[in-house]
Amino acid sequence: MCFKNLPVEFDQAGNAYLKGGVADPYRYQPREIKRERLEELLARNGHIKDVTISPVTRVAGALSFHAVADLQERKFLEANSIATIFRGYEVILKGRDPRDAIFISSRACGVCGGVHSTAACEAIEMAFGIHPPPLGTTLRNLALALDFLYDHPLHLFLLAGPDYSQVVVEATNPAMWEKARVTEAPNAKIHNYKTIADIMKSLNPLSGKCYLDGLKMTRVPREAYAVLFGKYPHPQTVVPGGMSSTVTITDFNETYTRLHKMIDWTKRMIPLWDDLIDFFYDYNPEYKKLGARDMNLADLGMWDDPESYDATYQNCDEWGERRWATPGIIIDGELVTTKLRQINLGIEEFVEHSYYEDWNHNGKQRFQADPLGGPLSPNHPWNKETMPKPSKESWKDRYTWDTAPRWDRQVVEAGAYARIWTTAAARKMPKSDFMESTGHSLILRLPKTMMAEVDVEWRIPQVWNAFERNRARAYCMAYNLMTAFTMVLKGFDYLRKGEDKVSTGFEVPKDERIGVGFWGAGRGWLAHHLVLDKGSIVNYQITTPSTINASPRDPFGNPGPYEEAVLNTPILEDFSKPEDFTGVDMLRAIRSFDPCMPCTTHIYGGDREIVREVNTCACAAEG
Amino acid sequence: MVLVSGIGYSNLSDMSFGRVLLSSLEKMRWPPDVRVEDLNFGPIMIYQWFEELPVKFEKAVFVHAAKRGRVPGTLEVYSWRKDLPGAAEIQLRIEEAVTGVISLDNLLIICKHFGVLPPEVTIVEIEPEKEDWGQDFSPAVAARVSEALELVRNEVLRTER
Repeated sequence: MCFKNLPVEFDQAGNAYLKGGVADPYRYQPREIKRERLEELLARNGHIKDVTISPVTRVAGALSFHAVADLQERKFLEANSIATIFRGYEVILKGRDPRDAIFISSRACGVCGGVHSTAACEAIEMAFGIHPPPLGTTLRNLALALDFLYDHPLHLFLLAGPDYSQVVVEATNPAMWEKARVTEAPNAKIHNYKTIADIMKSLNPLSGKCYLDGLKMTRVPREAYAVLFGKYPHPQTVVPGGMSSTVTITDFNETYTRLHKMIDWTKRMIPLWDDLIDFFYDYNPEYKKLGARDMNLADLGMWDDPESYDATYQNCDEWGERRWATPGIIIDGELVTTKLRQINLGIEEFVEHSYYEDWNHNGKQRFQADPLGGPLSPNHPWNKETMPKPSKESWKDRYTWDTAPRWDRQVVEAGAYARIWTTAAARKMPKSDFMESTGHSLILRLPKTMMAEVDVEWRIPQVWNAFERNRARAYCMAYNLMTAFTMVLKGFDYLRKGEDKVSTGFEVPKDERIGVGFWGAGRGWLAHHLVLDKGSIVNYQITTPSTINASPRDPFGNPGPYEEAVLNTPILEDFSKPEDFTGVDMLRAIRSFDPCMPCTTHIYGGDREIVREVNTCACAAEG
Repeated sequence: MVLVSGIGYSNLSDMSFGRVLLSSLEKMRWPPDVRVEDLNFGPIMIYQWFEELPVKFEKAVFVHAAKRGRVPGTLEVYSWRKDLPGAAEIQLRIEEAVTGVISLDNLLIICKHFGVLPPEVTIVEIEPEKEDWGQDFSPAVAARVSEALELVRNEVLRTER
């Protein structure tokens, strides 16, 4: 039994059904947010302060964050995550040819367009009743492992890394900086930074070696991605039923060479993050609470087994569990399911604190059940409609353009770390020479390059916080690399056997169909739910990792993951006057999720989103 | 060598001026040392492209639209000689660049910071009227298209070689 809160049970054959004797099984009573006491404290104008950071920098896109901080008790009393811009993709896609979704949804993000294209294709394939030949699936897997080899260094060294750099630590925790200067890095022989202070210096923006290497390293996987997908970040070659790229041994060789370039760097980078994180814990164990929240995570898995993936909903539990990243839900640190169908039945989206109309107001529900007869909530994405309702910002009422996706009415978070966690815990990944799921860890065997062969082992952590998110992301570099490596070898095998077909034919069906793309972005969970009729899209719903992580409070009173992480974060920075408070601990907590707001909510919205304030100067105009 | 490009997002009416004119620029006949390039992607990739390129450009001419409160359709040509902003601002531009924002402003600042921007940079710039979704220019901007193309051509041809 995987559900605690939803009124769904399963028979011995695994078929889902509604619990008997419940009159209106999905009904709930929204809880009111009470903040009178907080308002009174704020009005006293003492050490309780309103903190609004808008925009939150070093994240992708438009995120603002509001918090109420008790600077005396050094804790946060209230937290509100605010997606400031409306996303219109669901509205734009209505009425279009389903194939348009591949290219339009890709534009939801300027970093990870290919994951949206692929999720759209998987949704279409389910609806059309087609699936790619093995080499087509292998190519998708490979390209989207490469995509994350761009995404993770970008986050670790350009976006989150500066939070742990000399310039930030020295300014916000001078005593810690002094300690770092005299603390030897345990893995110095591997990464070549003698002290923790040397690591922190290497993370300095614009000048630190790790920052600059991270920037440089983003190029290598992007080159390989462009060879396979045609271009980055919005591929034109992902099509229903496979890929439109023609690949040869040379393409795989070119990819193989580039992967090699990244392996040595990854071997050095993982112990560097281990040293840095362990230093923070040793310096002050309170850092273990920074960004902490319950061990509740969700992932849909990705990287299909080319021999198993048939794109059907009927078989999604089987092909899902054969993925190189195992789908799963972690509740209180325990893996409660790896079955895509159970994961799908448990998803609901709520809008009580968002700028949207409740689509259930007319009492009509498009789908009562999934294609196998399992009960669907009226708040399930297949039933959801995107109905924007701009209104005044109110912390008690509505304050964001994001929605509140929940699983079994519990707050789960998404991320690359959820992917590695579910895979490590499940012991279901296909056999590989390079990766092994042990039930408590994922062992990644990095082959000999310039440096010797080395096994790195990501272990399911004892605590869950901002540091562990970053640590897991560093290990995911090795995970992505070895997945890509495995796919290159598979590609060689298929070509050797003459299995060079990359796509399959199809016709656009004219009757009503539904499909879902269960996939993953660099930041985790990605679902595209699709309803077609008469050859056009009737409904399209995208749930991204940042939709989940940046979500507001739900109707049950639970804060979203960023909000909860901030509420659990102690204020550990040094300051003597309130005006010196920087909020660095709060920002570390938020950034550890690797927020991607364009994916969350995105449409042209002026200078902060697509076109920023121009800095070019026409004062020297010549004509 | 002279580099020519038009920068902007697609389908944003007048704000797509650079992007739309780029396709006309690509079709025009140019001297052999002129390269017309689509640089409508994250400026970090452009910086890396400049860095890898075996040839170095003496000059770059960019076309784009920028709202500065002038009369819509105002067309200006100027040399970009701006000093770099402080480190924090450059860092912000890099963050935007790696997360997918397309911007001439970011392109210039980032490429200059990394020392790959051609020594001479000329901007051909139009004041937009319509900034929302759309595939067409406003009449004020549409009326200046030929002139803008001609200005780019003149800027390229008057480059000392």
